[in-house]
Amino acid sequence: MVKRKLGALEKVDADLANLQNKIKRDPKSYQTDFLYQHVQYENQRQIFMQAPTSASDSGVISFRELIEFVAHVSDCYKEETKEFPRQLIEILSAHHATLEPELREKIVGSLVLLRRKDIIDSNTLHQCLFPILISTPSKSLRALLFQKIISDLRTANTKSINHKLNRTVQTTLHNLVTDDRSSPKALWAVKITREMWKRQIWTDAKAVEIMKEAALSDNEKCVVGGVRFFLGGDKEREELEDESSDEETVDMGKLRHQIGVNKKSKKAERRLEKAAATIRRKEKKKGQPHPLNFSALHLLHDPQGFAETLFSKHLQSSKSKLNLEQKLLVLQLVSRLIGLHKLTVISFYSYFLKYLTPRQPSVTSFLASLAQATHNLVPPDDLEPLIQKIANEFVSEAAAGEVAAAGLNAIREICVRQPLAMNDTLLQDLVMYRKSKDKGVMMAAKGLLGLYRQVGAEMLKKRDRGKDAALGLRSGDQKQQRFGEEAVGEIEGLDLLEKWKQEEKQRRRLEKGLDPEASDQEGEDDEEDWNAWDVEEDDSDDSGGWINVESDDEIEISDSDDDKPSTKKVRFEAQGSKSDDKENQSTTKDDPDAEATTTQSKSSLATTRILTPADLAKLQELRTTASVSSLMKNHKAHHTARTAQTNAQRHIDDPLTAAEIEGLASLSQGKSTRAQKLALLQEHRDEREDHKSKAARKKDRKESEGKSTTNKEKARKKNFLMTLGKAKSKGKRSLVEHRRILKAHADRSKRGGKRGNRG
Amino acid sequence: MGSSAKKKKEKKKDFQKQKLKVGKARPKADNHTDTSFRSKAIVLNQQLDVNAPSQSATFLHHVSLLTSRSDSQRRDSLAYLTSYVGSNSTSKGNALPITTNALLGILCPLILDGSAGVRTQLLKLFQALPQDDIRDHVIKVLPYMRAGMTHLSREIRATAVEFLSFLIKVAGPELVACPGGWYQTLECFTTVLGWRSADASTWSSSKASFAGDVKSTARIMYVLAEFLQAGLGTDDSTDPSLNTLAADFPLWFTGALVTPTKSNAYAYLNVFGAQAEDYNQILDDREDRLQVFTNRFQPLVVAGVDAAKKEGGELGRASGVLTKTLDRTQISANA
Repeated sequence: MVKRKLGALEKVDADLANLQNKIKRDPKSYQTDFLYQHVQYENQRQIFMQAPTSASDSGVISFRELIEFVAHVSDCYKEETKEFPRQLIEILSAHHATLEPELREKIVGSLVLLRRKDIIDSNTLHQCLFPILISTPSKSLRALLFQKIISDLRTANTKSINHKLNRTVQTTLHNLVTDDRSSPKALWAVKITREMWKRQIWTDAKAVEIMKEAALSDNEKCVVGGVRFFLGGDKEREELEDESSDEETVDMGKLRHQIGVNKKSKKAERRLEKAAATIRRKEKKKGQPHPLNFSALHLLHDPQGFAETLFSKHLQSSKSKLNLEQKLLVLQLVSRLIGLHKLTVISFYSYFLKYLTPRQPSVTSFLASLAQATHNLVPPDDLEPLIQKIANEFVSEAAAGEVAAAGLNAIREICVRQPLAMNDTLLQDLVMYRKSKDKGVMMAAKGLLGLYRQVGAEMLKKRDRGKDAALGLRSGDQKQQRFGEEAVGEIEGLDLLEKWKQEEKQRRRLEKGLDPEASDQEGEDDEEDWNAWDVEEDDSDDSGGWINVESDDEIEISDSDDDKPSTKKVRFEAQGSKSDDKENQSTTKDDPDAEATTTQSKSSLATTRILTPADLAKLQELRTTASVSSLMKNHKAHHTARTAQTNAQRHIDDPLTAAEIEGLASLSQGKSTRAQKLALLQEHRDEREDHKSKAARKKDRKESEGKSTTNKEKARKKNFLMTLGKAKSKGKRSLVEHRRILKAHADRSKRGGKRGNRG
Repeated sequence: MGSSAKKKKEKKKDFQKQKLKVGKARPKADNHTDTSFRSKAIVLNQQLDVNAPSQSATFLHHVSLLTSRSDSQRRDSLAYLTSYVGSNSTSKGNALPITTNALLGILCPLILDGSAGVRTQLLKLFQALPQDDIRDHVIKVLPYMRAGMTHLSREIRATAVEFLSFLIKVAGPELVACPGGWYQTLECFTTVLGWRSADASTWSSSKASFAGDVKSTARIMYVLAEFLQAGLGTDDSTDPSLNTLAADFPLWFTGALVTPTKSNAYAYLNVFGAQAEDYNQILDDREDRLQVFTNRFQPLVVAGVDAAKKEGGELGRASGVLTKTLDRTQISANA
């Protein structure tokens, strides 16, 4: 709508913005003027209430503008505008469906403004906005309200966490989800909770509880919203955090240089100050302890019940209305829960039986879910038929390469988690596929073989066992674990700490008086000792955050999936130290001869001494070093360690994806066509930027900074037609002329260009 | 660039002035499109109506033009409506094509119209409208009136006072008796006169409303006097010495038994409306109004009148009238 053109006189008179500005500067003097406008507002409101639907934009100033005006100056005249917020809330709640959109937006904006001016509290605001959010038919209003609610919650939580507000809002959301399970309104609860979770404002169990209830609702959208939250909410949160920490990296050196070179101005100075403040803030933030963020899956109360209900309600029941995609999401969540918390849902495994055929759409996702739901406390009897079925359906000579590879990969992933599920005939059969011509199948079969060389070598044929496993079997080190057997718990990396401490002691003795005995001891130890020394040096200024990678040593990761200690035990041993059950424990073991001593000292260190925070920090550092160096390992050990790594390197919170099951399926596809090759090339186009020459990169940089080109470049770029004239006359020059030109050129180059500084 | 001779020539062509010659038709422009066509017959799909549109149709047309963007259009339409209403009211029984309620719904926002001509014409139209109709719709008009009185634009305020004066004359009793009609209008008056601000009693207080415009301030005070007279003055028809209950002697309580003359006789009970606050209560009775006035407004008004008296001149005279009215109403209250 085009606004009515105002006459010049009207403009001067009817200028609410002007009056508002004046009032803000000197509220007392303009009280009468304000009273005028307040009466005006009051009457316009009455006119509006007579016929709320036919609100016309009549007259010189509209109701909308008056509302805005009163809202803006309401903090100056609190007594007169006592009723104002209540009236706005009344109008909005009663007529939000029929109001003119602009007016509606203005009222919402004014309410938020009143909240910012602290005239109404957050609770009142939410009590007004939230019911409208879930009931209004207007999409734009919903978007506006959602944004306003989120931003208000954020601002309320900026200085310190506003527990009271959070609790009330969470209770409202929880009630919304649980009251009517089939209504789609609960989606708003899901949206708000997810947003707050992402921004790390709500990180408590109550928010997770809301999502849990949403996942158990009857409405498909809510179910998917809740399930997606558990599957991806934490990742989203981490990404946002990374993003926010990455932004605005300031180069102080550059700024300082610029201020030295460029003309001095207040603006530049201010910019420098601002940059310094940013850096200071960042430093401060770095110094602060990292806030404990538990993932949503860990904050769940009663995961067993949750998993069972999810499974029976959405997957098992025939009444469930979810489509395949949604079902897969739920399946993923249930399997994550089972795998993570080691739950026992026996009927879950037989549910898979009918989906395990190559013709089933997105069967790899099913396979991944099945593998994910396996853990060492699942009865092997339940898994055996499944593995048998996978082997029968997928792995055969007749099946396509990709199919067989996927089947083998799935079997391996299941067996990594529960090695007892395999019987030796099947295993020996499957291992034979390592001779397959198809590369994908071959790799998958080799993976399975590698796994069983570690966890169940006696099931393999003798010639397949390999040297290490055969030796281990003979000496009795390596034997198959029995069902339910748990490795003895320990603090991960405690032996490393022990060793480091000992070295430290030696070093100190050495420094004191060059004790020959100590030096002798050191002579025995090899270069690893020197590494430890380095670690210590590094420790003195540990703000650097560097991780030492050992070049080559004998520490070997011989890790199987089921030597995770039970968390209870760890807590007991740690004596109040932080037990990080979140992390997958990858223990490192010493040589067999040293092992006996370390196991002894292991227990003694943790039980006889209290680990100081410094000790724990060192422990963490050593652990990281060890895990990184295990990754860097190249020859020999690499072969056996890799299969173990599939499990050991995986964070327990990370899901197993369908892509992992598909594995190297691309290898079995055969030669790619020209079009495929081109597509691949296109995909990696931007990566080629990284392989540009130094000169080209420099040129790009100069160009992006808006700097000029060199004379050489200008000459190179010069239009060819422009050079023609000179070329023509060049041939006709006399010798004298030519000499003069050459001389001038030589002279010029000596001077340093046309405008050289010598003469 | 235009380096080549050809390009230069082309460029020049664009800016060459066309030479006009006497006795020759003007050359056609480059982008001229020939729109002439030949046809055997021309069919007009909308023929000119032989019959003039009916009066009621014109009336409705002009009502719709009241929301037009152009000032003069609105004013002309109002003038037409005025003449129509005037000519029709003489011949009895010839009602307007739309209800008065609907008509007033469109007319009222024009009280706040930016153009002075429209407002004066509107006042004329109001004067031409049947008075009974206006009496029934006072509640509808009043908020606009008050909004006009406190408008940012001074001219609109001045006209709104004229409107109010007219309304008091036509529908005084209904005006003061409608919901909020007494309390809120008085509040509005005191605000407009600047008697409500904290430093109102001091003579140096700024008269924000009309900032030294003595004439309009005096006019407002006159209208206030009229208003108070309407609200607090006693009806001349009823003789206070007579017992009202036994006016029609053999019958008692006749007033309660005959069919009420007002449109909504039991409005004061407020059976279906929202809970009334004290500012929008229906004050049907003179005593109630007097009570509200003495409790809330009398100190303000008296202080304002005193201050105005000190200024003398036009204001002094107006304040004299106001004092007289107050005295009269007070006397009648005491009697």
